Amino acid sequence: MRATRVFFYTLLLLSSACGAQDQRLGTFKSITGEVNVAQAGTMRTAETGGGLQSVDRVLTGRDASATFMLKDGTVVSVGPNSTLELAKVQFDTTTQDGSLMLNLLQGTIRVVTGWLAKLHPEQVMVNTPTSVVGVRGTDFIVEVP
Amino acid sequence: MSSMLKLTSGLLAAGLLCACAPASRVILLPEASGKPTAVEVKTVMASQLLSTPYQTASVSKSGALALGTTDPQVVQERYGRLIAQKPAPDEQFLLYFEPGGSQLTAASLEVLPTIVARALARQGGEIIVVAHTDRVGSVSANDALSLHRAKTVRELFVVQGFKPDLVDAAGRGERAPVVATDDEVAEPQNRRAEIIVR
Repeated sequence: MRATRVFFYTLLLLSSACGAQDQRLGTFKSITGEVNVAQAGTMRTAETGGGLQSVDRVLTGRDASATFMLKDGTVVSVGPNSTLELAKVQFDTTTQDGSLMLNLLQGTIRVVTGWLAKLHPEQVMVNTPTSVVGVRGTDFIVEVP
Repeated sequence: MSSMLKLTSGLLAAGLLCACAPASRVILLPEASGKPTAVEVKTVMASQLLSTPYQTASVSKSGALALGTTDPQVVQERYGRLIAQKPAPDEQFLLYFEPGGSQLTAASLEVLPTIVARALARQGGEIIVVAHTDRVGSVSANDALSLHRAKTVRELFVVQGFKPDLVDAAGRGERAPVVATDDEVAEPQNRRAEIIVR
């Protein structure tokens, strides 16, 4: 009986790991101006409450900006004329492990980190074409003019 | 002669521009609570730790690093909009389960409409359900049980009309108790769901 229950819960756990809900890595909290999200050759317009998935690229136009929150509570604000890629982002909400690697190709971001940086700072970094920013605190700006 | 002069000064200006426009720039902002903070900036050539608020690192195309400082006024002028975009702080609620399953207590059920209303009041508002167990049972069985609890509560929010995409369910098993106990000890206070509205 007990074994059956464990098996049932294991199935639940597995099905949730594959479920669409868990693919969402973050949610847009505010959008100003023209903001798009590019993924594997397709492009969609970003909207408040909309989701972000792995390897999405956030593209902001002139005078545009966007703020999104990732699963671990990290808040990323993207300034105008920016291209930001969610290069390697994953969260295990059970064990609170994961990784958060952002590539800032162009423009400006402000990052306020969440539980992943607190628990596993070595797993959190922002890459620019010329540098790697490793996180030891929570709040910073990175700019690629 | 004058055109020669113009050319020279033009080249000089271009040279200066290159020298003062870095390929990337990092600015450390203060912690809200005044706690110590730092970021490490690494390039192919060098590595530097920024550990004082408003310290900056400028990286040249070749990877050379130059440290500097800025101040709140300059940051406000240049990045005012980025700074202004911070979402309101999280709101938290605690729900408790009847012993032995995923049924919420009557008192906890009454809180659900308030939680939904608080989440709807936010732009892109989300509800995060983080459920826990006590230490009766194995770690893996409790991971599964806590996830089942979280998903049960998540379903209640969805039934109330909240958008499914914006409710996240996480089970943390027995690893984050409120009351520390030995293994295999039943503890009602640990059988809980933390609700984060953000």
